[in-house]
Amino acid sequence: MPDLEEQLTAMSVAIEWPPTPALRPVLSRPARREGWGLWRLQTRWALAAAAVLLIVATLLAYTPSRDAIAGWLNLHTTILRTPNQPTPSPLPSGPLGERLGLGSPTTLDGARSQVRWKIEVPSSLGRPDAVYVKLPPTGPSGGEVTLVYAQRPDIHAYGVTGVSILVTEARGKTNEIYFQKMLGQDATLEPTTVNGHAGYWIAGSPHQFVFTDADGNIYSDTLRLATNTLIFDNNGTIVRIEGDMTKSQALEIASSLS
Amino acid sequence: MEGRPADDSELIARAQRGDSAAYEEIVQRYQQIAFRTAYVITGSAADAEDAAQEGFVKAYRALDRFRLGADLRPWLLRIVANEARNRVRSSGRRHQLELRLTEGFRPGDAAPSPEAVAIAADERRRLLAMVNALSEEDRLVIASRYFLQLNGEETAAALGIPEGTVKSRLSRALARLRARVEEAASA
Repeated sequence: MPDLEEQLTAMSVAIEWPPTPALRPVLSRPARREGWGLWRLQTRWALAAAAVLLIVATLLAYTPSRDAIAGWLNLHTTILRTPNQPTPSPLPSGPLGERLGLGSPTTLDGARSQVRWKIEVPSSLGRPDAVYVKLPPTGPSGGEVTLVYAQRPDIHAYGVTGVSILVTEARGKTNEIYFQKMLGQDATLEPTTVNGHAGYWIAGSPHQFVFTDADGNIYSDTLRLATNTLIFDNNGTIVRIEGDMTKSQALEIASSLS
Repeated sequence: MEGRPADDSELIARAQRGDSAAYEEIVQRYQQIAFRTAYVITGSAADAEDAAQEGFVKAYRALDRFRLGADLRPWLLRIVANEARNRVRSSGRRHQLELRLTEGFRPGDAAPSPEAVAIAADERRRLLAMVNALSEEDRLVIASRYFLQLNGEETAAALGIPEGTVKSRLSRALARLRARVEEAASA
Protein backbone atom coordinates (compact mmCIF):
# COMPACT_ATOMS: atom_id res chain seq x y z
CA MET A 1 0.00 0.00 0.00
CA PRO A 2 1.48 3.37 -0.93
CA ASP A 3 2.57 5.76 1.78
CA LEU A 4 -0.21 7.96 3.14
CA GLU A 5 1.45 11.17 1.93
CA GLU A 6 1.88 9.69 -1.56
CA GLN A 7 -1.80 8.72 -1.60
CA LEU A 8 -2.86 12.23 -0.60
CA THR A 9 -0.59 13.81 -3.20
CA ALA A 10 -1.94 11.47 -5.91
CA MET A 11 -5.49 12.47 -4.96
CA SER A 12 -4.82 16.16 -5.68
CA VAL A 13 -5.60 15.69 -9.37
CA ALA A 14 -8.81 13.82 -8.58
CA ILE A 15 -10.39 16.46 -6.33
CA GLU A 16 -13.51 17.93 -7.84
CA TRP A 17 -13.13 21.68 -7.32
CA PRO A 18 -15.92 24.11 -8.13
CA PRO A 19 -15.27 25.75 -11.51
CA THR A 20 -12.93 28.71 -11.19
CA PRO A 21 -14.81 31.90 -12.06
CA ALA A 22 -13.22 34.41 -14.43
CA LEU A 23 -12.16 37.10 -12.00
CA ARG A 24 -12.22 40.66 -13.25
CA PRO A 25 -11.26 42.90 -10.36
CA VAL A 26 -12.13 46.57 -10.82
CA LEU A 27 -8.74 48.21 -10.64
CA SER A 28 -8.11 51.65 -9.24
CA ARG A 29 -4.90 52.57 -7.55
CA PRO A 30 -3.56 55.91 -6.40
CA ALA A 31 -0.70 57.18 -8.54
CA ARG A 32 2.67 55.95 -7.37
CA ARG A 33 4.41 58.34 -5.01
CA GLU A 34 8.05 59.24 -5.61
CA GLY A 35 8.89 59.99 -1.99
CA TRP A 36 7.43 62.09 0.79
CA GLY A 37 9.05 65.38 -0.24
CA LEU A 38 7.50 65.37 -3.67
CA TRP A 39 4.20 64.15 -2.25
CA ARG A 40 4.09 67.00 0.25
CA LEU A 41 4.99 69.50 -2.44
CA GLN A 42 2.28 68.11 -4.71
CA THR A 43 -0.22 68.21 -1.85
CA ARG A 44 0.63 71.85 -1.12
CA TRP A 45 0.16 72.83 -4.76
CA ALA A 46 -3.08 70.86 -4.93
CA LEU A 47 -4.44 72.60 -1.81
CA ALA A 48 -3.47 76.02 -3.17
CA ALA A 49 -5.10 75.25 -6.52
CA ALA A 50 -8.24 73.99 -4.80
CA ALA A 51 -8.44 77.19 -2.73
CA VAL A 52 -8.09 79.39 -5.85
CA LEU A 53 -10.73 77.35 -7.66
CA LEU A 54 -13.09 77.65 -4.70
CA ILE A 55 -12.71 81.45 -4.61
CA VAL A 56 -13.21 81.76 -8.37
CA ALA A 57 -16.24 79.45 -8.26
CA THR A 58 -17.76 81.48 -5.42
CA LEU A 59 -17.22 84.76 -7.27
CA LEU A 60 -18.63 83.36 -10.49
CA ALA A 61 -21.67 81.96 -8.73
CA TYR A 62 -22.59 85.46 -7.50
CA THR A 63 -24.13 87.44 -10.40
CA PRO A 64 -22.84 90.98 -9.51
CA SER A 65 -19.26 89.75 -9.05
CA ARG A 66 -19.52 87.68 -12.22
CA ASP A 67 -20.52 90.81 -14.16
CA ALA A 68 -17.75 92.80 -12.48
CA ILE A 69 -15.16 90.20 -13.47
CA ALA A 70 -16.46 90.30 -17.02
CA GLY A 71 -16.16 94.09 -16.93
CA TRP A 72 -12.57 94.00 -15.61
CA LEU A 73 -11.60 91.57 -18.29
CA ASN A 74 -13.42 93.64 -20.86
CA LEU A 75 -15.55 90.67 -21.81
CA HIS A 76 -18.73 92.08 -23.18
CA THR A 77 -20.38 88.75 -23.19
CA THR A 78 -22.44 86.93 -20.66
CA ILE A 79 -20.79 84.11 -18.77
CA LEU A 80 -23.19 81.20 -18.93
CA ARG A 81 -23.08 78.26 -16.61
CA THR A 82 -23.80 75.00 -18.34
CA PRO A 83 -24.67 72.28 -15.89
CA ASN A 84 -22.44 69.23 -16.09
CA GLN A 85 -24.28 66.09 -17.01
CA PRO A 86 -23.44 63.36 -14.56
CA THR A 87 -21.38 60.61 -16.14
CA PRO A 88 -22.94 57.23 -15.44
CA SER A 89 -20.68 54.73 -13.72
CA PRO A 90 -19.26 52.31 -16.25
CA LEU A 91 -20.98 48.95 -15.96
CA PRO A 92 -18.93 45.79 -16.21
CA SER A 93 -18.90 44.14 -19.61
CA GLY A 94 -20.57 40.76 -19.97
CA PRO A 95 -24.02 39.59 -18.96
CA LEU A 96 -25.89 41.60 -16.31
CA GLY A 97 -25.08 40.35 -12.84
CA GLU A 98 -22.05 38.39 -14.00
CA ARG A 99 -20.08 39.32 -10.89
CA LEU A 100 -22.74 38.36 -8.40
CA GLY A 101 -21.76 34.69 -8.24
CA LEU A 102 -25.17 33.50 -9.38
CA GLY A 103 -23.86 30.54 -11.34
CA SER A 104 -23.51 30.04 -15.08
CA PRO A 105 -25.19 32.45 -17.49
CA THR A 106 -27.86 30.88 -19.65
CA THR A 107 -31.22 31.71 -21.23
CA LEU A 108 -34.67 31.09 -19.87
CA ASP A 109 -35.07 28.10 -22.18
CA GLY A 110 -31.55 26.93 -21.26
CA ALA A 111 -32.41 27.09 -17.56
CA ARG A 112 -35.67 25.23 -18.15
CA SER A 113 -33.78 22.40 -19.83
CA GLN A 114 -31.39 22.07 -16.88
CA VAL A 115 -33.87 21.77 -14.01
CA ARG A 116 -36.79 19.41 -13.57
CA TRP A 117 -39.17 21.85 -11.94
CA LYS A 118 -41.21 24.73 -13.32
CA ILE A 119 -39.46 28.09 -13.39
CA GLU A 120 -41.97 30.86 -12.89
CA VAL A 121 -41.39 34.31 -14.39
CA PRO A 122 -43.01 37.51 -13.06
CA SER A 123 -44.95 39.01 -15.95
CA SER A 124 -44.95 42.46 -14.31
CA LEU A 125 -41.18 42.75 -14.90
CA GLY A 126 -41.16 41.57 -18.50
CA ARG A 127 -38.47 39.24 -19.76
CA PRO A 128 -35.42 38.96 -17.52
CA ASP A 129 -32.29 40.72 -18.78
CA ALA A 130 -30.09 37.79 -17.74
CA VAL A 131 -30.62 34.27 -16.41
CA TYR A 132 -28.22 32.17 -14.34
CA VAL A 133 -28.35 28.59 -13.23
CA LYS A 134 -26.38 27.05 -10.38
CA LEU A 135 -26.28 23.27 -10.20
CA PRO A 136 -24.74 20.94 -7.59
CA PRO A 137 -22.13 20.78 -6.16
CA THR A 138 -22.03 24.60 -5.92
CA GLY A 139 -25.82 24.95 -6.03
CA PRO A 140 -28.54 23.20 -4.01
CA SER A 141 -29.77 19.78 -5.11
CA GLY A 142 -32.31 20.33 -7.87
CA GLY A 143 -30.44 23.45 -8.95
CA GLU A 144 -31.11 27.14 -8.48
CA VAL A 145 -32.21 29.62 -11.14
CA THR A 146 -31.83 33.40 -10.87
CA LEU A 147 -33.61 35.90 -13.10
CA VAL A 148 -31.77 39.22 -13.25
CA TYR A 149 -33.43 42.53 -14.08
CA ALA A 150 -31.84 45.85 -14.94
CA GLN A 151 -33.53 49.16 -14.12
CA ARG A 152 -37.31 48.87 -13.77
CA PRO A 153 -39.78 51.73 -13.11
CA ASP A 154 -39.60 52.98 -9.51
CA ILE A 155 -36.96 50.44 -8.51
CA HIS A 156 -33.41 51.60 -8.05
CA ALA A 157 -30.62 49.81 -9.93
CA TYR A 158 -27.26 49.40 -8.24
CA GLY A 159 -24.60 51.50 -9.94
CA VAL A 160 -21.81 48.97 -9.58
CA THR A 161 -23.71 46.06 -11.13
CA GLY A 162 -26.62 47.74 -12.94
CA VAL A 163 -28.95 45.17 -11.31
CA SER A 164 -32.23 46.30 -9.75
CA ILE A 165 -34.05 43.03 -9.00
CA LEU A 166 -33.09 39.39 -8.53
CA VAL A 167 -35.70 36.64 -8.55
CA THR A 168 -34.13 33.39 -7.34
CA GLU A 169 -35.90 30.04 -7.37
CA ALA A 170 -34.86 26.67 -5.96
CA ARG A 171 -36.65 23.52 -4.84
CA GLY A 172 -36.77 23.21 -1.08
CA LYS A 173 -38.38 24.43 2.10
CA THR A 174 -37.89 27.56 4.12
CA ASN A 175 -36.69 27.09 7.65
CA GLU A 176 -37.49 30.07 9.82
CA ILE A 177 -35.37 28.94 12.76
CA TYR A 178 -32.24 28.79 10.62
CA PHE A 179 -32.59 31.90 8.55
CA GLN A 180 -33.82 34.08 11.41
CA LYS A 181 -30.49 33.38 13.13
CA MET A 182 -28.59 34.35 10.00
CA LEU A 183 -30.29 37.70 9.45
CA GLY A 184 -28.28 39.77 11.86
CA GLN A 185 -29.34 42.89 13.71
CA ASP A 186 -29.71 45.09 10.64
CA ALA A 187 -32.69 43.19 9.26
CA THR A 188 -36.22 42.45 10.46
CA LEU A 189 -38.37 39.45 9.62
CA GLU A 190 -42.12 39.73 9.13
CA PRO A 191 -44.22 36.64 8.37
CA THR A 192 -46.57 37.32 5.47
CA THR A 193 -48.82 35.54 3.00
CA VAL A 194 -47.93 35.54 -0.69
CA ASN A 195 -50.45 34.21 -3.20
CA GLY A 196 -51.93 32.13 -0.38
CA HIS A 197 -48.55 30.65 0.58
CA ALA A 198 -46.47 31.26 3.70
CA GLY A 199 -43.71 33.80 3.20
CA TYR A 200 -41.49 36.34 4.89
CA TRP A 201 -40.75 39.97 4.24
CA ILE A 202 -37.20 40.80 5.31
CA ALA A 203 -36.53 44.51 5.57
CA GLY A 204 -33.05 45.95 6.04
CA SER A 205 -29.78 44.48 4.86
CA PRO A 206 -29.90 40.70 5.15
CA HIS A 207 -26.84 38.90 3.81
CA GLN A 208 -27.49 35.20 4.22
CA PHE A 209 -30.43 32.93 3.59
CA VAL A 210 -30.58 29.32 4.70
CA PHE A 211 -33.06 26.74 3.49
CA THR A 212 -33.53 22.99 3.27
CA ASP A 213 -32.95 21.84 -0.30
CA ALA A 214 -34.77 19.08 -2.18
CA ASP A 215 -32.53 16.38 -0.63
CA GLY A 216 -32.99 17.68 2.91
CA ASN A 217 -29.55 19.33 3.06
CA ILE A 218 -29.20 22.70 4.75
CA TYR A 219 -28.11 25.10 2.02
CA SER A 220 -26.80 28.57 2.74
CA ASP A 221 -26.97 31.23 0.06
CA THR A 222 -25.77 34.81 -0.08
CA LEU A 223 -28.39 37.48 -0.64
CA ARG A 224 -26.46 39.31 -3.33
CA LEU A 225 -28.12 42.70 -3.17
CA ALA A 226 -28.28 42.74 0.68
CA THR A 227 -31.53 44.68 0.57
CA ASN A 228 -35.26 44.16 1.19
CA THR A 229 -36.21 40.61 0.30
CA LEU A 230 -39.49 38.73 -0.06
CA ILE A 231 -39.19 34.97 0.45
CA PHE A 232 -42.01 32.51 0.02
CA ASP A 233 -42.85 28.92 -0.70
CA ASN A 234 -44.43 28.51 -4.12
CA ASN A 235 -45.64 24.90 -4.32
CA GLY A 236 -42.34 23.40 -3.23
CA THR A 237 -40.17 26.05 -4.86
CA ILE A 238 -38.63 28.73 -2.68
CA VAL A 239 -38.82 32.08 -4.42
CA ARG A 240 -36.70 35.06 -3.33
CA ILE A 241 -37.32 38.53 -4.69
CA GLU A 242 -34.50 40.92 -3.81
CA GLY A 243 -34.37 44.61 -4.62
CA ASP A 244 -34.53 48.13 -3.29
CA MET A 245 -38.34 48.07 -3.20
CA THR A 246 -41.29 48.31 -0.85
CA LYS A 247 -43.22 45.30 0.40
CA SER A 248 -46.20 46.14 -1.82
CA GLN A 249 -43.94 46.35 -4.89
CA ALA A 250 -42.46 42.94 -4.02
CA LEU A 251 -45.93 41.44 -3.48
CA GLU A 252 -47.06 42.81 -6.83
CA ILE A 253 -44.10 41.14 -8.55
CA ALA A 254 -44.83 37.89 -6.68
CA SER A 255 -48.50 37.93 -7.70
CA SER A 256 -47.52 38.17 -11.37
CA LEU A 257 -45.48 34.95 -11.28
CA SER A 258 -46.67 32.37 -13.78
CA MET B 1 12.40 36.65 -26.66
CA GLU B 2 9.30 36.91 -28.83
CA GLY B 3 6.35 34.85 -27.66
CA ARG B 4 7.93 34.14 -24.28
CA PRO B 5 5.40 34.53 -21.46
CA ALA B 6 6.45 37.35 -19.14
CA ASP B 7 7.74 36.20 -15.78
CA ASP B 8 6.15 37.39 -12.55
CA SER B 9 8.74 40.06 -11.75
CA GLU B 10 8.39 41.53 -15.22
CA LEU B 11 4.60 41.63 -14.89
CA ILE B 12 4.81 43.12 -11.39
CA ALA B 13 7.20 45.84 -12.54
CA ARG B 14 4.84 46.73 -15.38
CA ALA B 15 1.79 46.65 -13.09
CA GLN B 16 3.58 48.90 -10.60
CA ARG B 17 4.04 51.41 -13.41
CA GLY B 18 0.26 51.39 -13.88
CA ASP B 19 -0.03 48.80 -16.67
CA SER B 20 -3.40 47.23 -15.82
CA ALA B 21 -3.06 44.66 -18.65
CA ALA B 22 0.00 43.27 -16.86
CA TYR B 23 -2.01 42.92 -13.65
CA GLU B 24 -4.85 41.24 -15.52
CA GLU B 25 -2.31 38.68 -16.71
CA ILE B 26 -1.27 38.11 -13.10
CA VAL B 27 -4.93 37.61 -12.14
CA GLN B 28 -5.40 35.10 -14.95
CA ARG B 29 -2.26 33.27 -13.92
CA TYR B 30 -3.21 32.93 -10.24
CA GLN B 31 -7.00 33.08 -10.14
CA GLN B 32 -7.43 29.31 -9.97
CA ILE B 33 -5.11 28.70 -7.02
CA ALA B 34 -6.44 31.84 -5.28
CA PHE B 35 -10.06 30.77 -5.73
CA ARG B 36 -9.38 27.20 -4.57
CA THR B 37 -7.44 28.41 -1.54
CA ALA B 38 -10.34 30.67 -0.60
CA TYR B 39 -12.73 27.76 -1.19
CA VAL B 40 -10.80 25.54 1.22
CA ILE B 41 -11.06 28.29 3.85
CA THR B 42 -14.68 29.36 3.34
CA GLY B 43 -16.19 26.06 2.15
CA SER B 44 -18.40 28.05 -0.22
CA ALA B 45 -17.77 28.72 -3.91
CA ALA B 46 -19.68 32.01 -3.81
CA ASP B 47 -17.73 33.29 -0.79
CA ALA B 48 -14.49 32.06 -2.34
CA GLU B 49 -15.20 34.00 -5.52
CA ASP B 50 -15.93 37.16 -3.54
CA ALA B 51 -12.81 36.70 -1.42
CA ALA B 52 -10.57 36.07 -4.44
CA GLN B 53 -12.04 39.02 -6.31
CA GLU B 54 -11.62 41.37 -3.35
CA GLY B 55 -8.17 39.94 -2.60
CA PHE B 56 -6.94 40.74 -6.09
CA VAL B 57 -8.31 44.28 -5.80
CA LYS B 58 -6.51 44.77 -2.47
CA ALA B 59 -3.30 43.29 -3.85
CA TYR B 60 -3.45 45.74 -6.76
CA ARG B 61 -3.80 48.66 -4.36
CA ALA B 62 -0.86 47.34 -2.35
CA LEU B 63 1.42 46.75 -5.34
CA ASP B 64 3.74 49.58 -4.29
CA ARG B 65 4.51 47.65 -1.12
CA PHE B 66 5.44 44.45 -2.96
CA ARG B 67 9.18 43.89 -2.81
CA LEU B 68 10.56 43.20 -6.28
CA GLY B 69 12.37 39.87 -6.36
CA ALA B 70 10.11 38.29 -3.72
CA ASP B 71 7.77 35.40 -4.61
CA LEU B 72 4.47 36.70 -5.89
CA ARG B 73 2.33 33.61 -5.29
CA PRO B 74 2.59 33.44 -1.47
CA TRP B 75 2.09 37.22 -1.27
CA LEU B 76 -1.13 37.00 -3.30
CA LEU B 77 -2.35 33.91 -1.46
CA ARG B 78 -1.80 35.63 1.90
CA ILE B 79 -4.01 38.55 0.85
CA VAL B 80 -6.75 36.35 -0.64
CA ALA B 81 -6.69 33.97 2.34
CA ASN B 82 -6.95 36.90 4.77
CA GLU B 83 -9.96 38.13 2.84
CA ALA B 84 -11.51 34.64 2.98
CA ARG B 85 -10.94 34.40 6.76
CA ASN B 86 -12.44 37.86 7.26
CA ARG B 87 -15.53 36.78 5.36
CA VAL B 88 -15.92 33.68 7.52
CA ARG B 89 -15.47 35.78 10.66
CA SER B 90 -17.89 38.53 9.63
CA SER B 91 -20.61 36.09 8.55
CA GLY B 92 -20.12 34.14 11.78
CA ARG B 93 -20.56 30.92 9.89
CA ARG B 94 -18.23 28.58 8.07
CA HIS B 95 -19.66 26.22 5.50
CA GLN B 96 -18.59 22.64 6.05
CA LEU B 97 -15.92 21.93 3.43
CA GLU B 98 -16.87 18.70 1.68
CA LEU B 99 -14.23 17.72 -0.84
CA ARG B 100 -15.31 15.25 -3.48
CA LEU B 101 -13.56 13.15 -6.08
CA THR B 102 -14.04 13.57 -9.80
CA GLU B 103 -16.12 10.69 -11.11
CA GLY B 104 -14.23 8.30 -13.35
CA PHE B 105 -10.78 9.61 -12.42
CA ARG B 106 -8.00 7.13 -13.15
CA PRO B 107 -4.47 8.12 -12.23
CA GLY B 108 -1.46 7.15 -14.30
CA ASP B 109 -1.10 6.02 -17.89
CA ALA B 110 -1.43 2.31 -17.29
CA ALA B 111 -4.69 0.59 -18.08
CA PRO B 112 -5.48 -1.45 -14.96
CA SER B 113 -8.27 -4.00 -14.81
CA PRO B 114 -11.80 -2.74 -14.05
CA GLU B 115 -11.63 -4.46 -10.64
CA ALA B 116 -8.38 -2.70 -9.74
CA VAL B 117 -9.84 0.64 -10.83
CA ALA B 118 -12.93 0.08 -8.70
CA ILE B 119 -10.86 -0.87 -5.63
CA ALA B 120 -8.54 2.15 -6.03
CA ALA B 121 -11.50 4.50 -6.46
CA ASP B 122 -13.14 3.05 -3.38
CA GLU B 123 -9.93 3.48 -1.36
CA ARG B 124 -9.62 7.11 -2.43
CA ARG B 125 -13.24 7.80 -1.53
CA ARG B 126 -12.76 6.26 1.91
CA LEU B 127 -9.56 8.23 2.49
CA LEU B 128 -11.19 11.48 1.42
CA ALA B 129 -14.14 10.80 3.71
CA MET B 130 -11.64 10.43 6.57
CA VAL B 131 -9.99 13.73 5.64
CA ASN B 132 -13.42 15.41 5.54
CA ALA B 133 -14.15 14.01 9.00
CA LEU B 134 -10.98 15.48 10.56
CA SER B 135 -11.06 18.63 12.65
CA GLU B 136 -11.13 21.87 10.70
CA GLU B 137 -7.50 22.65 11.61
CA ASP B 138 -6.28 19.26 10.41
CA ARG B 139 -8.43 19.30 7.27
CA LEU B 140 -7.21 22.77 6.28
CA VAL B 141 -3.52 21.96 6.58
CA ILE B 142 -3.87 18.66 4.68
CA ALA B 143 -6.01 20.20 1.94
CA SER B 144 -3.59 23.10 1.52
CA ARG B 145 -0.44 21.00 1.46
CA TYR B 146 -1.60 17.97 -0.55
CA PHE B 147 -4.74 18.85 -2.48
CA LEU B 148 -3.81 22.44 -3.36
CA GLN B 149 -0.15 21.41 -3.58
CA LEU B 150 1.02 24.55 -1.77
CA ASN B 151 4.59 24.61 -0.52
CA GLY B 152 5.45 25.35 3.11
CA GLU B 153 5.66 29.12 2.65
CA GLU B 154 2.40 29.22 0.70
CA THR B 155 0.60 26.99 3.21
CA ALA B 156 1.77 29.30 5.99
CA ALA B 157 0.51 32.30 4.01
CA ALA B 158 -2.84 30.64 3.30
CA LEU B 159 -3.40 29.59 6.91
CA GLY B 160 -1.98 32.76 8.44
CA ILE B 161 0.50 30.88 10.63
CA PRO B 162 4.32 30.69 10.76
CA GLU B 163 6.01 28.16 8.49
CA GLY B 164 7.34 26.23 11.48
CA THR B 165 3.79 25.82 12.78
CA VAL B 166 2.75 24.39 9.40
CA LYS B 167 5.27 21.56 9.85
CA SER B 168 4.15 20.64 13.35
CA ARG B 169 0.44 21.00 12.52
CA LEU B 170 0.82 18.88 9.40
CA SER B 171 2.72 16.22 11.27
CA ARG B 172 -0.02 15.98 13.93
CA ALA B 173 -2.80 15.98 11.30
CA LEU B 174 -1.10 13.16 9.36
CA ALA B 175 -0.65 11.14 12.56
CA ARG B 176 -4.36 11.45 13.34
CA LEU B 177 -5.33 10.54 9.77
CA ARG B 178 -2.97 7.56 9.77
CA ALA B 179 -4.49 6.32 13.03
CA ARG B 180 -7.97 6.46 11.46
CA VAL B 181 -6.78 4.62 8.35
CA GLU B 182 -5.19 1.88 10.46
CA GLU B 183 -8.25 1.64 12.68
CA ALA B 184 -10.49 1.21 9.62
CA ALA B 185 -8.13 -1.41 8.15
CA SER B 186 -8.15 -3.50 11.31
CA ALA B 187 -11.94 -3.24 11.80
